[in-house]
Amino acid sequence: MRGLVRDTVLLVFVTLVLGTAANLIPGRQLAWWGRGFEPPRAGVDFNFLDPGSADAMRTSLPRVVFLDTRSATEFASDHVPGAEEISYTDLGAALSPGRLGRLRSAGAIIIYGASEETDVEQLLAQELRRREMAPPYVLIGGFLGWQASGLPVEGGGQ
Amino acid sequence: MRWLRNPWLHRLLGLVLGGIFLYAAHAKILDPRPLVTIIWNYRILPPGPVNLMAIYMPWMELVVGLALVAGFKRRAAALCSVGLLVAFMVALGINAVRGVNVACGCFSTSAEDVHNAWLLVLRDLPMLLAALVMLVFPPSPRASSPARD
Repeated sequence: MRGLVRDTVLLVFVTLVLGTAANLIPGRQLAWWGRGFEPPRAGVDFNFLDPGSADAMRTSLPRVVFLDTRSATEFASDHVPGAEEISYTDLGAALSPGRLGRLRSAGAIIIYGASEETDVEQLLAQELRRREMAPPYVLIGGFLGWQASGLPVEGGGQ
Repeated sequence: MRWLRNPWLHRLLGLVLGGIFLYAAHAKILDPRPLVTIIWNYRILPPGPVNLMAIYMPWMELVVGLALVAGFKRRAAALCSVGLLVAFMVALGINAVRGVNVACGCFSTSAEDVHNAWLLVLRDLPMLLAALVMLVFPPSPRASSPARD
């Protein structure tokens, strides 16, 4: 039993040494205690918007941009009219300087995911805030909520 | 139950479970930063220790995986595996009860890699059993081919 405890402590010690050393490498460092990571906050990083209000905004305001964070397949099947697909996992390519400029000049940005179960849209909103944009809107209920409200969709699957 | 103490069974379980841990650690060690988001999305830990988890958990998986594959301190590695897997299953189980399907961060750091949380708990179950066999039934010392631990 003592041998098991000693061996376990050894493995944990090796883990601590390796993890600490790796986190000292420039370019891949994380703050040791939560600093540097703030969860997205409603009202600061983004505002929630119900599907009806989002549709009213779409039809009454110029340059309202819908960003669709779902997979390419889901986007191809159907999406909010005029929406743009954006991959949260490839933001480096997705947020090109040209697109960022276009988003900055948009009247409003409305982000949606598949449903309320996903958080990617909130994380994307936080990322846009970090890039000095006005707080975007996150669609309550995601695309499922949009469909459930009977609002128009476009795409190959409709 | 003597067959559970067969050294070859332990080698096989070590190779399989260790290989899974090594594969799981790979993407997270290359870049641990997306893991912060995934751990946060479990909505279990407060913001403070989230980064610590992202810093050390992948290395724990690597160390445990290497130890299991190499047969070095295999019982201790199995004990660590049990700890890791129980923690994973509790975290997934809490979200499954909440009805939230999370990106588990098991084998990738993609926040979009969302799966049914109950299925993820079930997927961890055989791995937990394998680790428990290595921990609770160490190979018999009289076996012809003793384990190195």
